[in-house]
Amino acid sequence: MTRLWKKPGMRPSCKRAAAMVLGLCSMGMFFLPQMTFVFRDIRYVASGWELVFAKGFWFGDAQEGSLIAVPLLLRLAVLGGMLCAAAGTVGLWCCRPSFSGIAYLLSGISPLVSLVAAASLQSTAAQLHIHEMSVEYRLPFMCVLAAGVVCAVLALWTQGVEALAQAVFLTASCVSIGAVLLLTVYLFAAGVPAIAQIGFFRFLFGTQWDAGQGKFGIFPLLLATLSATAGAVLVGVPVGVLTAVFLREMAGERVAKWMRPAVELLAGIPSVVYGFFGMLVVVPAIRGMFGQASIGDSLLAAIVILSIMVIPTIVNVTEQSLGAVPKAWRQASLGLGATPVQTVFRVTIPAARRGILSGVILGVGRAVGETMAVIMVAGNVAEFPRLLGSVRFLTTGIAMEMSYASGLHRQALFSIGLILFLFLMAVNLSFTMLAKRGAGHGR
Amino acid sequence: MADKTLYQKKIRLGDGLLKGSIYAAAALTFTVLLGLMGYLLVRGLPHISWGFLSHTYSETDPQQNGILPMLLNTLYVVGITVLIAGPVGIASAVYLTQYAKQGRFVAIVRFAAEVLSGIPSILFGLFGYTVFCQLLRLGTSLLAGCLTMALCVLPTLIRTTEEALLSVPRLYTQGAMALGAGKLRVILGILLPNAMPGILTALVLTMGRIVGESAALLFTAGMSYGMPRGVFSHAMESGRTLTLHLYQTAREAATPDAMNVAFGTAAVLLILIFLLNRIAWLLGKVLKKGES
Repeated sequence: MTRLWKKPGMRPSCKRAAAMVLGLCSMGMFFLPQMTFVFRDIRYVASGWELVFAKGFWFGDAQEGSLIAVPLLLRLAVLGGMLCAAAGTVGLWCCRPSFSGIAYLLSGISPLVSLVAAASLQSTAAQLHIHEMSVEYRLPFMCVLAAGVVCAVLALWTQGVEALAQAVFLTASCVSIGAVLLLTVYLFAAGVPAIAQIGFFRFLFGTQWDAGQGKFGIFPLLLATLSATAGAVLVGVPVGVLTAVFLREMAGERVAKWMRPAVELLAGIPSVVYGFFGMLVVVPAIRGMFGQASIGDSLLAAIVILSIMVIPTIVNVTEQSLGAVPKAWRQASLGLGATPVQTVFRVTIPAARRGILSGVILGVGRAVGETMAVIMVAGNVAEFPRLLGSVRFLTTGIAMEMSYASGLHRQALFSIGLILFLFLMAVNLSFTMLAKRGAGHGR
Repeated sequence: MADKTLYQKKIRLGDGLLKGSIYAAAALTFTVLLGLMGYLLVRGLPHISWGFLSHTYSETDPQQNGILPMLLNTLYVVGITVLIAGPVGIASAVYLTQYAKQGRFVAIVRFAAEVLSGIPSILFGLFGYTVFCQLLRLGTSLLAGCLTMALCVLPTLIRTTEEALLSVPRLYTQGAMALGAGKLRVILGILLPNAMPGILTALVLTMGRIVGESAALLFTAGMSYGMPRGVFSHAMESGRTLTLHLYQTAREAATPDAMNVAFGTAAVLLILIFLLNRIAWLLGKVLKKGES
């Protein structure tokens, strides 16, 4: 029974009451033991209250020992979580459900932040040579997380199902954008320090990559990536475009009906499978062909595999844009006496050139970012690229060394990641701009 | 030249060359395609047997050369990733098409999705390794791999779902609204059911991508090949998927027997991808039938 004389948002409901009670509980968790810090045989059980106001953890005996301070982020996260829960409850009291929904959600996120902060505490401990430190999380800690989310849902629900649904959908898209922002920020934050330490030009144009001697010049890797991409484009684009022309203009419908799914399948084959094929077929073929000159694992093998990998992408995109060329243009050309081949090369392909170009750029993106296929065929020696010599790419450089790298070496790998990211951003942006210009013309 | 008749065709050398090159390119593409598939299937299919699919694997014991743990790991990664990325992706797409004002916000999200879909998976692996494995203390585990993969597939999933939602005729939703249905009811009752074949196609294509992914899982999900010890606890354990198994066995194979494991794995992967591709194609056909 709805009482009509009251505004729906103001109605005292059980959802609102439950949210407020749960919010109070979540605040109460602040005073219960949340984390256990274990230093060798000493166990500190810390409540939220202690985490915020204690100086730190005394490690060692009374005379000698060191104080490990609680990280500021951890203090802020715990305190902020409590305050957000409080703000949410007050907000509900004052009938501001959307405000309290956000506040509750933030209080639910705060344990995740403390999780990250506690990890930084561990690395501080490692600097003091205390390696046996670990952090355990108690039940109240988890409760804050769960209570925050449940409270947020209840608080938003008091406004009705529609508002709740909208909030859920909005949160989902915020998560998606948040992920991108986080990734970008993270790549910069992780990549810039090493570049700054090594020096931008020495990093980018340094000719030697030798982690053991502390030499971090990625110029050979960069050149290898560029030359392999260029090679793949030089081989893959003509073959791909001409295959698309064949499928769209020359092949009968019956042939094309079989070939189109085949090309799509080729686009979906895992890169490791391509690498495997290259390792077993392409590499021995190169070894056989050049004998003494090459061991087979070479830039040439990588180019062959990358060409095979970019062809499906280029065929698919080109075929679509060829299909978008108006039929009347072709008919007009044929009517003027041009042969079918002349029509294809003078009318259809020029008209579809923007689409073809975007296909090429997609192919470039794929070739630059490819890791697992080329790692299996390129030999992975960080030298200046020769066609028949073994090479290492930017991507394979990361994949090869990530498992054991530490310190500056590891940071340098993140810097390689940043360079890759920036390069692909540039490629992508040009793609978007081309697409926009193409749309402006209106085919 | 006087005796040339109207019926005699002029020989156009350039035309012939270009036409020849078109046929040559097409022939090359399909030779490579058939060669690749044929080679791997011919060498791989004989090694696929019930024993191969249902036995455990060990690097030290050549007798244990099955791929059951890798199959299960792949299933885990595909399942958990779709469970994470599916709802988030579909909900984002619903928000973008139904709620958001078509202005700045949508443009930013589109741009972000565009950027994210161009990033190579090795960078996702790098990110997932530091954030999920180290900062969030998941360790090298399937769950960390799944979270990384979820980030990896989200942009494409959002874009394809958006397309599926936009292809639902506006008359349907407007009709429902005119009958007094609320926005949520329109979305759940009209929009999503009508867009379902498109959304399912997007999900199946996503699964194909997850099955084929390797670089993003290299550091995050790890390389162990043990059998799952518990249904739920396995998500927190490290495990290699089929692609990583192929990578590892191919690189370290010293004997022909070890290479046979790699061939069998490659054939299983090809069959899986083929099946997923077919399912997506069938769904696409259902979609077209619905339109007409």
